[in-house]
Amino acid sequence: MSKESAALKKGRKGSREISPSLPDYRGYFGEFGGRFVSETLMPALIELESAFKIAWRDPSFRKEFQGMLAEYSGRPTPLYLAEALSRETGGARIWLKREDLNHTGAHKITNAVGQALLARRMGKRRLIAETGAGQHGVATATVAAKLGFSCQIYMGSEDVRRQALNVFRMKLLGAVVSPVDLGGRTLKDAISEALRDWSRSVGETHYLLGTAFGPHPFPLMVRTFQSVIGQEARRQFLKRVGRLPNVLVACVGGGSNAIGLFHPFVSERAVRMFGVEAGGIAIAPGLHAARFAGGSVGVLQGTKTYVLQNGDGQIENTHSVSAGLDYSAVGPELAYYRGTGRIVFDSVGDDEALEAFRMLSRTEGIIPALESSHAVAYAVRLAKTLPRDANILVNLSGRGDKDVMEVSRLLEEKGETL
Amino acid sequence: MTAGPSAKVSQSGKSSFKRGTSPPALIPYLVAGDPDMATTRRYLRLAASAGVFAVELGVPFSDPTADGPVIQEAARRSLRHETALSELLDWIEKIPREELPPLYLMTYFNLFHHMGVESFCHRARETGRVAGVVIPDLSFEDARDYRPIFRSYGINLVGFVSPTTPLDRARKIVREARGFVYYVGLMGTTGSALSLTSSAREMVKSIQEWTALPVCLGFGVSEPKMAQEILGFADGVIVGSRLVKEEEDPGRWEKTFLEFVAASRKGKS
Repeated sequence: MSKESAALKKGRKGSREISPSLPDYRGYFGEFGGRFVSETLMPALIELESAFKIAWRDPSFRKEFQGMLAEYSGRPTPLYLAEALSRETGGARIWLKREDLNHTGAHKITNAVGQALLARRMGKRRLIAETGAGQHGVATATVAAKLGFSCQIYMGSEDVRRQALNVFRMKLLGAVVSPVDLGGRTLKDAISEALRDWSRSVGETHYLLGTAFGPHPFPLMVRTFQSVIGQEARRQFLKRVGRLPNVLVACVGGGSNAIGLFHPFVSERAVRMFGVEAGGIAIAPGLHAARFAGGSVGVLQGTKTYVLQNGDGQIENTHSVSAGLDYSAVGPELAYYRGTGRIVFDSVGDDEALEAFRMLSRTEGIIPALESSHAVAYAVRLAKTLPRDANILVNLSGRGDKDVMEVSRLLEEKGETL
Repeated sequence: MTAGPSAKVSQSGKSSFKRGTSPPALIPYLVAGDPDMATTRRYLRLAASAGVFAVELGVPFSDPTADGPVIQEAARRSLRHETALSELLDWIEKIPREELPPLYLMTYFNLFHHMGVESFCHRARETGRVAGVVIPDLSFEDARDYRPIFRSYGINLVGFVSPTTPLDRARKIVREARGFVYYVGLMGTTGSALSLTSSAREMVKSIQEWTALPVCLGFGVSEPKMAQEILGFADGVIVGSRLVKEEEDPGRWEKTFLEFVAASRKGKS
């Protein structure tokens, strides 16, 4: 047996350690997932899968990853009891997993660190990424600066306009920001353009995809890196409360903060899980991003999952007050758990999310990202229906500094004052 | 105009192609409905009378991740008047057979999935005018679930080999390919600049040793002279963006198309 095939065997063994059964060897979670990409990218995805599995079994890689999370990103992030917020609901206790306190202000940095370390191991010299609100773009530009990669970020031109601050941050960090003037000029179009770049440059470039979406192995890899959220939360909860939370709540765009929190709890049948999608203005074509409410099974950007599409199978545009949830498809593993009933999905609209944005700021002195505000809003809804000794854990996936200008504009538009 | 390349794929999907005796072949790519269906029909008629090997008829999709700017733009123009896959099959069925070259429908997998792969195959066979399909984002692995369906209806599922494909993988892809083998001439999206490398020649030659199917090279063929050169070693050449660029202007499209037809005839002589 050659050295290489021995290493690959080890890699395969590693895959069993990462997850007992899912995804399968073709990257499917039940009927969802797969690798729907052009042949030009297939060998790169196969190489990436194998490199990831070998690295994840390597204690020195894990040590490097954990070390950088601790020293550079500030992990573990705190578990925080939002007493005043809970009191205001009159019901269950709401706890926050403070992912907003990560370096760069969101959970995104964890995945960026993991993939960048892997890319360095693979000998890549350049990172590319897509971004919507700019948080993943900033996280990628940050690790690129730290680890010495050249970096190019694709961002829809509509998002470039809406998120000028993050564009400046990325440039400051040394990244090239390329506005994408195609389609709806938002996240979906940025992903397409990043995939096109990767087809041209696959030898020297790693595509640092920002969420648990896209072709295998991205959903597996992003979940594995982000599961640190749920692992920490579990430990912290047991230590602090002496038992597991009753309910977990996370917002769902592509789904990386949700699967990161949920995955370590999946086999705990007593823990209920809720994924919150963006209800936008209304559940009607083009006015929301609730894929499970208005979508159907389809194939987009490398994966088979729930997609918002019209009667001809053309992908529909989306709307949400939060750019990070404003996307037409959802991660395949979440689609799978929705099918098994393990995770329940619901949606929160723009207005309710804005209300929660203000409520958490006012009661706790924590300004949440508009994405995370959807989860906070849903937790408030749930708390009212649950007894006072029940515990709800919310993934506060990001902080809201990036959103204050947009919220100020929206309030003005509505004629409201603070 | 009838003395053109005669290597053809019959509507049942059986190839009468014989390497060495069949003349080299041109496969023009058209975006259906760009600028309108009447013009598409006119281009198809012209291609049929020029005796092309086949036409790749692109069905526009909202998110064409494997296409460069020229085809993206054409797809957007076409999508303005909603060219749905099922309606396109109805439309094809009404065209007299003699006005149609062998047709390969090219689009992204979501459109087939949305219609239902089996329903699509059933309808496509009913029209008697669809030789096969070219689906850039249906990987060899994911195709496993669908290959038997395409086969049972006699719809050829074309196999892609790219410059990044390792040899052993290429061999598997070629073994399962039907209709023709699509060799992606360059890494990137459609319409980028192609420079022919000796590795492309070698790869095409290897594939030809493994299969009796025609091996056709596409992506980035921007000039008739380049098509002619490709046909010195490949069995067919696919011309996409260069022709799509002219789709809005029938006069220019026809002129360009005829230049490629002439070049492809010179190809092997």
